[in-house]
Amino acid sequence: MIVWVVRRVAASIAIVWAVVTLTFFVIHAARGSPFLPESSQSVDPETIVRITNQFGLDRPLWVQYVLYLRNLATGNLGESFALRRPVADALADAIPNTFVLALAALLIDFAVGLALGIYQAVRERSVGDIVLGNIALFVNSMPTFWLGLVLLLVFAQRLHAFPVGGISDPVLCPRLDSAACLGDFVWHLTLPALTLGLVGAAGTARFQRAAMLEVIRQEYVRTARAKGLQERRVLLVHALRNALLPFITLVGLAFPFLLTGAVLVETVYAWPGMGQLAVRAILQRDYYVVTGAALVTSTMVVLGNLIADLLYAVADPRIRVRGAGA
Amino acid sequence: MNIWNWVALSGAAVLALIVVGAVRRRAGASASGRRFFRHPTAAPGLFVLTFFVMVALAAPLVAPFQPYEQIDVDHLQNHAPSTRYILGTDPLSRDVWSRLAHGARISLGIGALAMFVAVTIGAAVGATAGYFRRWVDTALMRLVDVGLAMPRIFALLVVVALWDRIAVPVLVLVIGLTGWFATSRLVRAEVLSLREREYVAAARALGARPSRVIVRHVLPNAAAPIIVSAALGIGNVMLLEAGLSFLGMGVPSPAPSWGNMIADGWSKMAVAPWSATFPGLAISLVVMALNAVGDALRDALDPRKEAV
Repeated sequence: MIVWVVRRVAASIAIVWAVVTLTFFVIHAARGSPFLPESSQSVDPETIVRITNQFGLDRPLWVQYVLYLRNLATGNLGESFALRRPVADALADAIPNTFVLALAALLIDFAVGLALGIYQAVRERSVGDIVLGNIALFVNSMPTFWLGLVLLLVFAQRLHAFPVGGISDPVLCPRLDSAACLGDFVWHLTLPALTLGLVGAAGTARFQRAAMLEVIRQEYVRTARAKGLQERRVLLVHALRNALLPFITLVGLAFPFLLTGAVLVETVYAWPGMGQLAVRAILQRDYYVVTGAALVTSTMVVLGNLIADLLYAVADPRIRVRGAGA
Repeated sequence: MNIWNWVALSGAAVLALIVVGAVRRRAGASASGRRFFRHPTAAPGLFVLTFFVMVALAAPLVAPFQPYEQIDVDHLQNHAPSTRYILGTDPLSRDVWSRLAHGARISLGIGALAMFVAVTIGAAVGATAGYFRRWVDTALMRLVDVGLAMPRIFALLVVVALWDRIAVPVLVLVIGLTGWFATSRLVRAEVLSLREREYVAAARALGARPSRVIVRHVLPNAAAPIIVSAALGIGNVMLLEAGLSFLGMGVPSPAPSWGNMIADGWSKMAVAPWSATFPGLAISLVVMALNAVGDALRDALDPRKEAV
C-alpha cells in the first residue's frame, strides 16, 4: 500500500511538472509580451529590471525555464507584471474563493444528484422518473455560463433577489469580519454555486440512477428483501452502499469539471477566483501567473484522482487487497 | 421572415421527419437498430439533430438576412422578437434568427469536425498503445495522463493565445488535438482485451503486419465504444466552443457561432434577453439531442449494458 502511494505521488509530481513545462513554453511562444506598450504603463521600469534579472527575461528561453524551475524549487512563483505583486499572493487570494465556490457547487451537485438518482431508480419508468430524467438531460446539456446568465437575468436583474456579481458588498463588507458579512458572502455565493451545482447535479443524477438500477437487480438485494427487511433499509443500506462505489469516480472527475466550469462561471459573476485570474493572465501574457495557475489547477486535478483512488481502496476491500499485493 | 423562409423552414422540419422515419424503418431490420429506437428519447433526439443539420445546410433559404447584415444601426438595435424578426435583433442590429441559422453551420461543423480529429487521433494512439504494450504503451499513456491533468478550457485558452485572430479551421484542429486523451484510454482498454483474441493470433500467424492487424481486425471490433464516445463528445466540443467564444477566444466576432452570439448579446441581457437566450437554447437543445442519441447508441451497440 505504501509503495503504491509513493509511486502514485511520484507520478503525480511528474505530471504536474510536465503540465507546467508545457504551459511555460506555449505561453512564451504566444505573440505579445507583458511589456508591450499597451500594458507597460502598469509596470514601472524598476520592476522590469528587477524581474528581468531575477528571471533572466533577456536570456534565451531555455535559460529562463531553468531559472523559473530553480525559483519554483525555492517556493518563488515569480511576480505578476500586471498586478505588481508576487504570483503566490495573487493565487493565495484567488484559490480560497474558487475553493469555496467549488465546494458549495459540489454539495449542491452531490446532494441534489444523489437524491434525484436514487428517487428515479426506485420509481423506475414512472412518470416522475421520465419527467425528471428529461429535465436532467436538458440541464446537463446547457452551457454552464449560459445557465449563469439566465439565472442572473431572472433572479438578479428582474427579481432583485440576488446580487449581480462579486463576492461581497465592497462598501458594507470589504472583509469577512461579522456575521452579517458572512451572510452577505453566502448571498453572493448562491447564484454561482447553483449554476455550477445544478449542471453537475443533472449529470450525477443520470449516473447514480444507472448505478442504483444495476445494484437493485443484484441477488443480495433480493436476499435482503426476502429476509423481510424494510424496503427503506434495503435501499439505503444494502443497495446504496454498493451503488456509491462508481460514484467515487465522479468525485475525481468532478474536480476538472468544476475547475472548467469555474473559469466561465467566475467570469459571468465577476467572482474573483482562479478562473478569472487565469483568463485575465492569459490575455495579458502575464507569464508567471499563467504557469502558476497551471501548477495549481493540475495539482488539484491530480490530487482529485489520487483521492478518488484512495477512496476506492477504502470503500472496496477487493481493491485494497490487490493494491497491497502489488 | 418572409413567406419563403417559412416554407423553407417547414420544409426542413418535414424533411427531418421523413429522414427519421426512413432511418427507423431501416433500423427495424436489425436487433441493434430496434434497441436504438426502443430508447424513448432516441427518435426525438435524432429528429432535433437532423432538423438543425437541415437548417445549417439550408441557412441561406431559411434566413431572411445575411448573418453580418446590420439592418438599421440607428433604429433596429435590440428589437424585440416580431413577425419580421422572429428572434429579435441583437445589439448591432443584426437579425438573431439569421445568425442562428448561419451559426448552426459553424457550431455544428466545429463540433463534428473537431470530434472527428479527436477520435481519429484517440483511436490511433489508443490502438498503438494497447497493441504494442511495453514502452510504447507506457510512453503514450503518460502523455495522456499529462493531457488529462489540465482542465481542457485552460489548455485551450493557453494554446489559442498563440494566435491573434484564430481561423476556424485552426480552432477545429486545436480543439481536436486537445480532446483525444479520454478516447485513447477507452480504445486502449478495448484493444488490450481484443489483441488476445484468436482471430488476431490467426491474422498474425498469416503474416499480417501490425498496422493491418490493428486497422482490419482490432479497431472494427472496438468500434462500438468509439462511436458512442464520439456522439457524446460532439456535444462536449460544442459546449467548449461556446465557452471559448464567450470569453472572446473562439470563433472571431463577425462570423456567427452560437457561442459568440451569446457573448454579443450578454452586455444587453437586461434590456434584450433574446439575443443571448436563443443561441443558448439552441446549444442546449442540440447537445441534449446528442446526449440522447449517444445514450441510445450505447444501449444499441453494447448489449451487455442493455439492462440498465
